Amino acid sequence: MIDVQHLRKQYGDLVAVDDVSFTAEKGSIFGLLGPNGAGKTTTISCISGLLKPTSGRIAVSGHDVVTDGSAARRHLGIVPQELALYSDLSAAANLEFWGSAYGLTGEPLRRRVAEVLALIGLADRGKDHTSTFSGGMKRRLNFGCGIVHNPKVLLLDEPTAGVDPQSRVRLLELVREQARAGTTVIYTTHYMEEAQDLCDRIAIVDRGRLLAMGTLDELRRMVGEKDLVRLAGRFDSSAATRALEAVDDVQVLSAAADALTIATAGASRKLPAIFAALASAGSDIQETTLSVPSLESLFITLTGRELRE
Amino acid sequence: MADPAALSIWIGLPLLLGGLLSFISSGAGDAPPRARVLLVDQDNTAVSALVRTAARQGNTPIDLEEVTPDEGRRRIGAGDATALLIIPAGFQDAVIGTRSARLQLVTNPAERVLPTMVRQMLEVVVEGAFYAQRLFSEPLSRIANAPQSGPAPDADVASIAIEINQRLTQLQGVLLPPVITLSVKTGTPAAPPLNFGQLFLPGMLFMAFLFIAQGMSVDVWDEKQEGTLRRLLTTPQSAGRLLLGKLVAGVAVAAVVALAGLVGAVALFDLPWSRVPAALLWCAYVCGALLAMLTLLHLFARSQRGSEMLSGVVTFPLMMLGGSFFPFEAMPAWMVSVGRWTPNGLGVARLKELLWGDVSVTALGLAALGIGIPAAIAFLLSWRRLRRFAHA
Repeated sequence: MIDVQHLRKQYGDLVAVDDVSFTAEKGSIFGLLGPNGAGKTTTISCISGLLKPTSGRIAVSGHDVVTDGSAARRHLGIVPQELALYSDLSAAANLEFWGSAYGLTGEPLRRRVAEVLALIGLADRGKDHTSTFSGGMKRRLNFGCGIVHNPKVLLLDEPTAGVDPQSRVRLLELVREQARAGTTVIYTTHYMEEAQDLCDRIAIVDRGRLLAMGTLDELRRMVGEKDLVRLAGRFDSSAATRALEAVDDVQVLSAAADALTIATAGASRKLPAIFAALASAGSDIQETTLSVPSLESLFITLTGRELRE
Repeated sequence: MADPAALSIWIGLPLLLGGLLSFISSGAGDAPPRARVLLVDQDNTAVSALVRTAARQGNTPIDLEEVTPDEGRRRIGAGDATALLIIPAGFQDAVIGTRSARLQLVTNPAERVLPTMVRQMLEVVVEGAFYAQRLFSEPLSRIANAPQSGPAPDADVASIAIEINQRLTQLQGVLLPPVITLSVKTGTPAAPPLNFGQLFLPGMLFMAFLFIAQGMSVDVWDEKQEGTLRRLLTTPQSAGRLLLGKLVAGVAVAAVVALAGLVGAVALFDLPWSRVPAALLWCAYVCGALLAMLTLLHLFARSQRGSEMLSGVVTFPLMMLGGSFFPFEAMPAWMVSVGRWTPNGLGVARLKELLWGDVSVTALGLAALGIGIPAAIAFLLSWRRLRRFAHA
């Protein structure tokens, strides 16, 4: 398991991670969901020992990553966001190298390399140089290098970024297999759908802070049963906000000159009242989008911003 | 070792440069160049014949060819000779009569060294003629006035010989014994002089080591670009161990290159096998130190291109100063005095002793410390720097 308590990482005046705490249990997939620059990679770098936390404590299988770093890292596997492979080596040689970096040698290493090659679907390409691989194959090998030593905790930093849909499905299935085998998985992503489909528990992070955490159902309950209504057009934001406050159970999440986002339960029934209120405030509505409660609506509720902004 | 192109450059470039320098220095066994001098003798007398004879004396590198004035001017104009020498009519009369005479020397502007040589030799001949004129003008005058056909009468020859003998007797007090005595002492050399290859081998090896150190130290940037450095630092291995692994790899490559060079020295220069192990260890040690120092440079650069430029800026002067491009024996004294204190200079000097001379354990130990201490400091600083470098 992995335990992160009050993690803070600061670069001068910039606070990249601020008081982040979470725990991930054995065999679970814990998601860190947030936009680019939210502090996900910094959090992963601190857990993996690449960065020293400014304050806070991180324990991997009971080993503190600062005071007992080598032991903690022995239980960790990492699949970085960018490919980290030796392009002039074969797939098998890459796996052997990373396996040996974690202390595997001899027959156990050879056996494990063969297993991983089969697992990632590269058994017939083991002797080929990785420079000849497609992007998806490299991603799978990148994943294989992170699990070759059978880690207890696997850190996946946006492993599907820039991956074609077919390879993404394959990679996500590989992640589930690892969790089923008892590995604790920390999975960072800015893809809401991935987090919803894959993760047992999710933490929503933005600007270095952890905004919400729980299972998917728990997070949905935080939004309530409110639907999300996005309106595009021309608005006097303050007048529109005042007009909407008069409508029962409507919460204005964000208001700008060209867009409004509001949350309300049973939005489809309330649309006439919303339109009337906005018309009285001089608004010109050109487009309306209605979404059912989701992680995305929770993110917007919490931050007033879209997840991909 | 996985990059045969890099390996062949590291070994091949020093060999190529060494071969070229060897070719230039030895002239590849060809005869030394000779000056072709065209002679127009418009005087055609005994004294002008003396000039011709003087030019052909001994081992002068001059080929004298008598030509007509027109041919001489045409050929020197076409660049077909080193110089054209014109002895004007009346030259003999001028020499004997203590009047002035003008020898005309036209040189080929396309050549630089040989015309200067011809001019200097001609100056020596003219100077000799001046002193002969002062001392023996009377007998020379009689030789010049002798009838042109048939041998000279015995009485004239005897008279001239007696006169020359009398002059020499007068000069004997000054010339014999000479006022200046020359004492020549031939020392016993401590070791036979080194040939060209023996002089160049240590420098060539260190040139290869500098290339290896330069090529392998940039590896930290390659690993950073490939993302493998960050990943390596998340493994249980410490940053120091990772750096040490890179040093060991560099030392292994250097050892292979050094072994090849030393085996070559055994085959070509009769280097005793007993000297190979110590020389091999020394080469590997110094190359490892150079690699440690250059790695530190890379870790403080802001970009890979900048780091490559920086290491080039450091490596090339080290090569030139530290006896790795030219041997110390062929360098100016001031350059040697600086170069001997560079890391590779210390390495080259001690390697030369290990290969061909007497090894001073003290000097070797001091050189090892002189190279090893900065390298150890560089290693420790690199160790501290590596994580920050990986994350920057």
